[in-house]
Amino acid sequence: MAETTEPILEVRGLVKHYPLTSGILFKKQVGAVKAVDGVDFELARGETLGIVGESGCGKSTVAKMLVNLERPTAGEIRYKGEDITRLSGKALKSVRRNIQMVFQDPYTSLNPRMTVGDIIGEAYDIHPEVAPKGDRRKRVRDLLDVVGLNPEYINRYPHQFSGGQRQRIGIARGLALRPEIIVADEPVSALDVSVQAQVINLMGRLQDEFDLSYIFIAHDLSIVRHISDRVGVMYLGRIVETGRDAEIYDHPTHPYTQALLSAVPVPDPEAREHRERIILSGDVPSPTNIPSGCRFRTRCWKARERCALEVPALAVPAEFRGVSGPAAHDSACHFAEEKRVVPPEETGTAGPPGPPGGRGPGGSHREDAEDA
Amino acid sequence: MLLEVRDLHVEFHTRDGVAKAVNGVSYGVDAGETLAVLGESGSGKSVTAQTVMGILDIPPGRVTAGEILFEGRDLLKLKEEERRKVRGAEMAMIFQDALSSLNPVLTVGAQLAEMFTVHRGMSRKDAHAKAVELMDRVRIPAAGERVKQYPHQFSGGMRQRIMIAMAMALEPKLIIADEPTTALDVTVQAQVMDLLAELQRELHMGLILITHDLGVVADVADKIAVMYAGRIVETAPVHDIYKAPAHPYTRGLLESIPRLDQKGQELYAIKGLPPNLTRIPPGCAFHPRCPMARDVCRTDVPPLYDVTESDAGRGSACHFWRECLHG
Amino acid sequence: MPDQEPYEPERAVAGTGMGGTMDLGASEAVTLEQPPGPDGADPREKPRSLWSDAWHDLRRNPVFIISALVILFLIVISLWPSLIASGSPLKCDLAKAQEGSQPGHPFGFNGQGCDVYTRTVYGARTSVAVGILATLGVAVLGSVLGGLAGFFGGAGDAVLSRITDIFFAIPVVLGGLVLLSVITSNTVWPVIGFIVLLGWPQISRIARGSVITAKQNDYVQAARALGASNSRLLLRHIAPNAVAPVIVVATIALGTYISLEATLSFLGVGLKPPSVSWGIDISSAAPYVRNAPHALLWPSGALAITVLAFIMLGDAVRDALDPKLR
Repeated sequence: MAETTEPILEVRGLVKHYPLTSGILFKKQVGAVKAVDGVDFELARGETLGIVGESGCGKSTVAKMLVNLERPTAGEIRYKGEDITRLSGKALKSVRRNIQMVFQDPYTSLNPRMTVGDIIGEAYDIHPEVAPKGDRRKRVRDLLDVVGLNPEYINRYPHQFSGGQRQRIGIARGLALRPEIIVADEPVSALDVSVQAQVINLMGRLQDEFDLSYIFIAHDLSIVRHISDRVGVMYLGRIVETGRDAEIYDHPTHPYTQALLSAVPVPDPEAREHRERIILSGDVPSPTNIPSGCRFRTRCWKARERCALEVPALAVPAEFRGVSGPAAHDSACHFAEEKRVVPPEETGTAGPPGPPGGRGPGGSHREDAEDA
Repeated sequence: MLLEVRDLHVEFHTRDGVAKAVNGVSYGVDAGETLAVLGESGSGKSVTAQTVMGILDIPPGRVTAGEILFEGRDLLKLKEEERRKVRGAEMAMIFQDALSSLNPVLTVGAQLAEMFTVHRGMSRKDAHAKAVELMDRVRIPAAGERVKQYPHQFSGGMRQRIMIAMAMALEPKLIIADEPTTALDVTVQAQVMDLLAELQRELHMGLILITHDLGVVADVADKIAVMYAGRIVETAPVHDIYKAPAHPYTRGLLESIPRLDQKGQELYAIKGLPPNLTRIPPGCAFHPRCPMARDVCRTDVPPLYDVTESDAGRGSACHFWRECLHG
Repeated sequence: MPDQEPYEPERAVAGTGMGGTMDLGASEAVTLEQPPGPDGADPREKPRSLWSDAWHDLRRNPVFIISALVILFLIVISLWPSLIASGSPLKCDLAKAQEGSQPGHPFGFNGQGCDVYTRTVYGARTSVAVGILATLGVAVLGSVLGGLAGFFGGAGDAVLSRITDIFFAIPVVLGGLVLLSVITSNTVWPVIGFIVLLGWPQISRIARGSVITAKQNDYVQAARALGASNSRLLLRHIAPNAVAPVIVVATIALGTYISLEATLSFLGVGLKPPSVSWGIDISSAAPYVRNAPHALLWPSGALAITVLAFIMLGDAVRDALDPKLR
């Protein structure tokens, strides 16, 4: 996917602090939860940016700010050059048409008192200019068809569907206004393994079909790699390393990324014997009390005095500057060094077995699904 | 065999009819052995474990057939009072959600100490010392001070350690862990899983690990039982199953996982949805979703065929297991 | 927005997996075509919502059926008391004072010689009117104030919360004695007004809490992300999901309002003669209870049955609406 054109979305210095107050009548700020603490990234048209991180790293707060469910404390979110954080009223409403969200939990993100048709069609009630009244039912049926659900289900209620089907309804709702950007916050983490793949494939297909740009937020590194063109790794409110998927997964230079990658359980008992596992000590510090200097230093095996004093910038580390190669990507570490944690692809034994029915690997997967 | 489940059947009475959650499950685990029970939601993996533990809600649940032999005694024939003695002292359970499994109004020290005062009749002072020792053992830093804290003051990973400490307290012979790391972050998951495996080795316990995550299983299990719609569809030593699955469902699951080391175009997806337990399809329950299904699959329930080819025992409930294994 | 083009995508785009996924949709359809009912009927015919589920439960609940029948009967006789009572409740004959049951006068006569049967029948009107109207007033005022406070939060919410605290501190009967004793109008309205005034904070608290719970649901966030206005969020998404607890509490409160009216009338500050009310009758019969217990018994019994019926109805509704009890 081309990255040459100017970004459709550009985020600069995004900050969200939730004030902590004490006192009942006269509220006094005693601190702040620094959920997001200076995040920069950009998103090209048709691209997927994956954001990974553990719980509490601020990735969901970033998502909410992108779709204007939360107002940033500071920073800019530029959509086609226009800062949307300052918009309100009509202008905000029209930007919202173009940036839509898919939620994590398909059980709480659909109103249980509304039919599927009303849930998806609500977009047209709010933005009546998008579709003429008589045309709306048909559009909803078309959308159901597009996400792989029977259009006859238009009058059913959400509880008559399984988790995977509900997530398809959530995706159809996100598509209703023909947005350019979809922010997906852990869209498959609440689903069963066998259903996750269906939804991921659907999202991949829709991206091509509707020329969508995705911000894909997840804690599962394998899924993020599968769907993303570029990846940003978040820790305690900041992006600590970012680059193209191969740069991050095959040539990580930040110790946190390396630890995260090495901790992912791999469904292959033989690969584990060849793998070095980095087990981090302790827990993520509280976002009310972020360590000085590098925020990862309290859990980092490489931490030295400099890490406590100087905040490392998110840039290509000095060691790799001027070198062209996959290791030369942005990494916020004073002592960045390349370390291969995910074993290279090769190995015949480690690879998954071919699909059932004795066909070769790769392209035949789709045929199997068609055999129905 | 430390624990042997034989042909267990469990039903639930719901408004929509009788949901057959467990339909003839048999598995066994030895001391010092880890059995992973793998399945999606609704596969019956947790219901089986709850029945073994004796914490199944009856009603709406009902055990309609089967035996659960623990050291040769059928637990289903024991009186509730005898059963209670087995629970906690001889077998213990670790749950997914540690926060709701711990009592929020008691300090963790008090909850740990209670295990010793109730089951072992220890004095309060000795029990307290034991609690500190246990917290130390599950590597909670500053155990002596933190023993006075309440569950909400601990992080998710630390709470799961406390749950493990409670389960280990009386040195049971069997531990059942129901998705013990699902709610935790990846970096913490590894810590907790390692701790659990280490303690198991030390105490030579049997461990039943219930999970939906093929990755977690690969790292710790000795053998695997894959469940689908209340039945075991495949059982095998852990290495074999990843190398060559003998059931199309296992194979589909393995293939539908996105991999860290590969960026594919399209994931293999098992089509369709898991069945509604009130209306399990006739024949092989997996046939509507199976790429290999033929006429016989729609009519005949496949038994768990013995597919032992190498050294250890393997089973697959597929009429065409040979094709699957070698195909 | 290009016309139909986006929804008729090139199905044949190579490598997108389109065909596979569409088939997959169809196979899901097959799975779902087996409906959530044992009979195999088409599920499209009966979309089940919370209300239809609740109704399904209620129809099978004997407590609901009995209380609903009693309430229906009460409403009918308060609209058309002459259906079962031919006389006038105000026609009294002192000569017959305290007399017992006799032909045509099954319940006997009270201290003023009025027919107890007729007065008990006519008394239902006051009770039912006060109960229903006061509950409506309380529910509307309380849920609007509490709902808005819960939705918008901030200073308005803080002020409202303190006000409800103050109202909770007012003793109901004492408040009634003070406030109603200065009013001379002899209609049900002052009593209804008083109950609404003291009753709304209870509903307001419930409504506030349940709006705050509903507000946090992802579907509210989803609608907000679509650009929905506050009024749409409140009316389409929050209210339908927050109304159940309000209905339950209001139904149970209805019974207590009826007994409150009787209490106030008994104390002489609610309705006063010549109005007809069970409270007044209980009050006037109390001095003669040794000589004519029947004059006390019938209006008290009617009151007790009415209050019980409404409370039982509230209970049944709560059981049906509370998904946690399922």
